[in-house]
Amino acid sequence: MKAKRLRLFFLLLVLLISGFLISLLVGPVKTNFSDLWDFLFNNDKIFSLIFIDLRLSRALLAFLVGASLSLSGAILQGYFQNPMAGPFVVGVSSGASFGAVLSIYLGLTIQVIGFSLQTIFAFFSGFAIVSLVYLLSQRKGVFKVETLLLTGIAAGAMASSLTSFLIFLKSESYQQAVFWLLGSFHLSDWNQITAVFPYFILCFFVAQWLAKDMNLLALGDETAQSLGCPVNRVRKIFLTISTFLAASSVSVCGIIGFVGLIVPHWVRILIGPDHRHLFFFSSLTGGIFLLYSDLLARTLLFPIELPIGIITAAVGAPFFIYLLNQRR
Amino acid sequence: MALFEAKNLSAGYENGFVIENISFSLKEGEFISILGRNGSGKSTLIKALQGLLKNVSGQVRVDEKNIFLLKSRQIAKKIAYVPQIFSYSFEFSVLEIIHMGRYIHQGRLGGTSSLDSRKIEEVMNLTEISHLREKKIAHLSGGERQRVFIARALAQDTPLLFLDEPSSHLDISYQVEIYQILKRLQKEKGKTIFTTEHNINLAIPYSEKIMFLKGGKVQAVGPPKKLITRENIKKVFQADVEIRENIHSRLPEISLIHKPEEKA
Repeated sequence: MKAKRLRLFFLLLVLLISGFLISLLVGPVKTNFSDLWDFLFNNDKIFSLIFIDLRLSRALLAFLVGASLSLSGAILQGYFQNPMAGPFVVGVSSGASFGAVLSIYLGLTIQVIGFSLQTIFAFFSGFAIVSLVYLLSQRKGVFKVETLLLTGIAAGAMASSLTSFLIFLKSESYQQAVFWLLGSFHLSDWNQITAVFPYFILCFFVAQWLAKDMNLLALGDETAQSLGCPVNRVRKIFLTISTFLAASSVSVCGIIGFVGLIVPHWVRILIGPDHRHLFFFSSLTGGIFLLYSDLLARTLLFPIELPIGIITAAVGAPFFIYLLNQRR
Repeated sequence: MALFEAKNLSAGYENGFVIENISFSLKEGEFISILGRNGSGKSTLIKALQGLLKNVSGQVRVDEKNIFLLKSRQIAKKIAYVPQIFSYSFEFSVLEIIHMGRYIHQGRLGGTSSLDSRKIEEVMNLTEISHLREKKIAHLSGGERQRVFIARALAQDTPLLFLDEPSSHLDISYQVEIYQILKRLQKEKGKTIFTTEHNINLAIPYSEKIMFLKGGKVQAVGPPKKLITRENIKKVFQADVEIRENIHSRLPEISLIHKPEEKA
């Protein structure tokens, strides 16, 4: 297992570095290695704008959002004891998107470095949706996976329709609707990175701190408690941070579906279910996955940019169906 | 001095108490089995005794400390629990599952100490599962899985061991094997063992004390030799039985009476 993890780590590292390099070189303005060289060593001002403010910020944001969504998914899968959960499937993403759009609609978009009202709105509406889904999918204390998934999808659709309604009321721009419902990084800047990065780091450390507890939850709540895990507190913390991760992502780039579902699932197949490693590898893999997805979104129909949600859904939905079939 | 004591314990779920006014005590190194019909409150009792239920009244003390005031961490240092129904959502290996038993002995971010490894090897030898260590838990037979969960409880290294119907889902040879492991733990490790059981004959030779539970109330507590009588079994299980002596253990044993079918 240890050797397997090490191999995967190096593979991911190579993918990460090449992903960032390609992201820096590809864009509407043609650039090549020598331009990057010029910028790095001769301090070219024009290239500084292109490389740092446009492309690096975008690549970093894609990476951070991918890492946040995947970590959120890894947590939710452990929380619901189910490899088919994820921030999109249980409705957190759609709920958060509604909150973000609502805050814009009400004109409440103050941001003080990394702390924005939009994220807070997104958090509370995302939290409301996931709590609702959780309560509704419990019948007399018995928790059914099918009910969870169906309730999550229904609640998500409900939140999305409200989001669409708000966008329809407020703006004539079709672009905005696409942005919130399918996700995009075309508005990326350093401000947005400061709106995601602190949450990610904080939530990652909390998750890692409680990783052993999450392992115990896999044996059932009562057994976990009898082994010494403070189950109720641990569950509350995990639900809060997974919602925060999804909400901060959604409030800067809209809904990007399926990342949080497929990445942790795939990582678990590769390195096993131990959350002490799963959280880290899910974050890293998710970041890389979105980095490349964004590259695809930018280049596939160049010069037109595709919403990134189209790419992730095209990859993720078939995978989801495959998982559903595997269960039988 | 009693290691473990329940006084007037009533407990249940949201819609009321399932067990009422239970009092008993356990001395160090004792083996007690709770016998009763399905739905008599055995599982509720075993959970309530470890503070796993919220709706409780009365007292439970371990080492003179009130269990309802202790943190789960502190309780887990005293009592290890093998539940009746195992859930395992992810593909953990046998070794990973047993490691989880060491949770209270490790820091949150700490790795496996040499003491942890030694304990884990020891409990795997005791339960004879060393050869299964790399196997995924889902790929084991019922008997193997039961031994893994007992090993995990042993890795917790507690004076008290609680088991909820350890023989259910197992065939006859495994049932005896599990009880023999438990007996060895009592004799060699000085564990105090509390089990619930519905197979009366299985509990008799291994338990020093049995307790009959009926409708959530204690009917009788005492050594099996005294308690296993036709009248008691009739009263507790509503079953007609004969009592005879087991030729090996010289202990009482029940044998079922098969009634001829009644004519309509």
